[in-house]
Amino acid sequence: MNLRLTNKQINIIEKANPFLIVSTIVAFTFGLYFSLLQSPPDYIQGDSMRIMYIHVPSAWFALMAYTILAGSSVLWFITRNPIFSIIARSIAQIGMIFTLISLVTGSIWGKPTWGVWWVWDARLTSMLLLFFLYLAYIFLWQSITNKDLASKISAALAIVGFVNIPIIKFSVDWWNTLHQPATISKLSSPSIDISMMVPLFIMTLATFLFLITVFFIRLRIEILDNKILRIREVK
Amino acid sequence: MNELKIKDLTCYRGDNLVLKDLNTKLKSGDSLVIRGSNGSGKTTLLRVLSNFIKLYNGKILFNDHNVLEDANYRNCFNFVGQKNCLKDNLSVKNNLKLWEIIYQKNISYSKLLEDFNISHLMERDVASLSDGQKKCISLLRLNFTESKIWYLDEPFVFLDEANSQILIQKIKNFNTNNGIVIITSNINLQNTFTNEIKI
Amino acid sequence: MFALLKRDLYLALYSSSSFFYTSSFFILILIILPFLFGTNDVQLQVLFKGIIWIGLSLSILLTMERIFNADYEDGNLDVIIQRYPSLETIIISKYITHWVVYCLPLFIILPILSFLFYVSLDNFFLIFLNLFFGSLGMVFIVTFVSALTLGAKRTIFLKAIIVIPLFIPFLIFGTNLGSWPILLALSMMSFVLSMYVSAYGLRLYVE
Repeated sequence: MNLRLTNKQINIIEKANPFLIVSTIVAFTFGLYFSLLQSPPDYIQGDSMRIMYIHVPSAWFALMAYTILAGSSVLWFITRNPIFSIIARSIAQIGMIFTLISLVTGSIWGKPTWGVWWVWDARLTSMLLLFFLYLAYIFLWQSITNKDLASKISAALAIVGFVNIPIIKFSVDWWNTLHQPATISKLSSPSIDISMMVPLFIMTLATFLFLITVFFIRLRIEILDNKILRIREVK
Repeated sequence: MNELKIKDLTCYRGDNLVLKDLNTKLKSGDSLVIRGSNGSGKTTLLRVLSNFIKLYNGKILFNDHNVLEDANYRNCFNFVGQKNCLKDNLSVKNNLKLWEIIYQKNISYSKLLEDFNISHLMERDVASLSDGQKKCISLLRLNFTESKIWYLDEPFVFLDEANSQILIQKIKNFNTNNGIVIITSNINLQNTFTNEIKI
Repeated sequence: MFALLKRDLYLALYSSSSFFYTSSFFILILIILPFLFGTNDVQLQVLFKGIIWIGLSLSILLTMERIFNADYEDGNLDVIIQRYPSLETIIISKYITHWVVYCLPLFIILPILSFLFYVSLDNFFLIFLNLFFGSLGMVFIVTFVSALTLGAKRTIFLKAIIVIPLFIPFLIFGTNLGSWPILLALSMMSFVLSMYVSAYGLRLYVE
């Protein structure tokens, strides 16, 4: 089975890496320039709203990462190609970190906006639960010593989690409409001005490049790890 | 007459080749000892034979039926593994009761325990018994089925001289009643059972 | 099927997880309430609706290692699977046992508990319905998590981390009186999911 994990894959990753790192840095330079200096401050929230340019992309990619995690788990079930199990594992850790970033930035943003560090807002709460779904996946993988078995089991858990995300989201939203105090304003204003759209777009691109870069680095480590494991087992 | 045939059995666990091109044939009354060092695949072989592991190359035939397709095969064998199937927090009697329900067979417990001369342990908690005593009790599971084949995984581990002799006698009796026995062991049993393969 | 169920129930009985243990557990969890929050009856009524779900979750969650782990570790699972080749039968038997042993006592003592916490009769029926349909789904969930984590290092915390996010929808709707149809729907969904996943987990581990 491990024959499908060739040096070719590692070579591609190693060649792509410097290019990715440079483009991430360039994109972030542009993105930060536009979002911190070029764009106007929000007329209600002032400069504090600029944290949105980090918060929103990381929240998007946190969700996207779970989709990739579930998708590659499904593909793993269909093809049994170990590369999908490795992709799932690498993206899980990154997704967890992005979830954490969006939680922390959301909380920092909340302080000047709401006056408190944390509000039991539907979106924040769902993100918090998403964080624990990631955590469960990673812990489960680590706690099973037989790694062949671990990848099968955690793939199943990833799919179960993915099925559950809409249910959790639905129930948390519903709960929030029941309990939400009327004074809290929504996080994002209904329409974003075009002058904010441009930096948001560039920052999204930069975050995406950052995600891909880190993902490739993790992927390489996991592939090498996997190889070491196989060699040890055979010996 | 029953016949168990293993044809070109090859089995992988993960990427490791555990069993390679195993061939053998056993008839009613035969017993076979499988020798091999630790981790050589003895337990895997027994788990393949008892249909727990279903992914392998080659064929296992019982009376010329492939065991993977023969729905009746599961009633034909009994497997006593290294896990003793005993609940530590229950008494011996309650454990036997649980087996009785699973196997749907009524048996006199006291008579059963006499086999290994352990009638006095009936009311004791399993947790308080020695490993050898637990092993004796776990071997009593063989009496709950009318099976044609016994798969015994390391049955002599923890058993003292006297109990080993009792077990050997039990196996011989089973053989004379047309039973087939496959035993794994890492000690030499050549004096008792002549039929032996090494893996 | 019935033999297996009988065996599981006997095992629970012998393991001294009898009716009195479980119901005492529920009562004690609830007795904490007045000590923590005072004896204001309106407040107690509100808290009762929530804490009873915590009691139910804990009762189901803390005992989840008894579903498959114990049988797996001592080898009985092998014997059961050999004798009862349909995994679905085994799983359904475990559902029933776990529910009867760790949830049913709550329903039997619920009238007394509601009386202690000044719950009106109408609310009692709604709470009862919510707990009933919710507990079914929660048992389905712990069963499949238990099947998936058979080979994991034996820690209840790992299992709690996996299970609690899956419990959240049940808890949200459970504390809202009258949403039993939603709980029923959630339970049916988790039944389907649980059947597949538990069978998958068991099949992997007996290999």
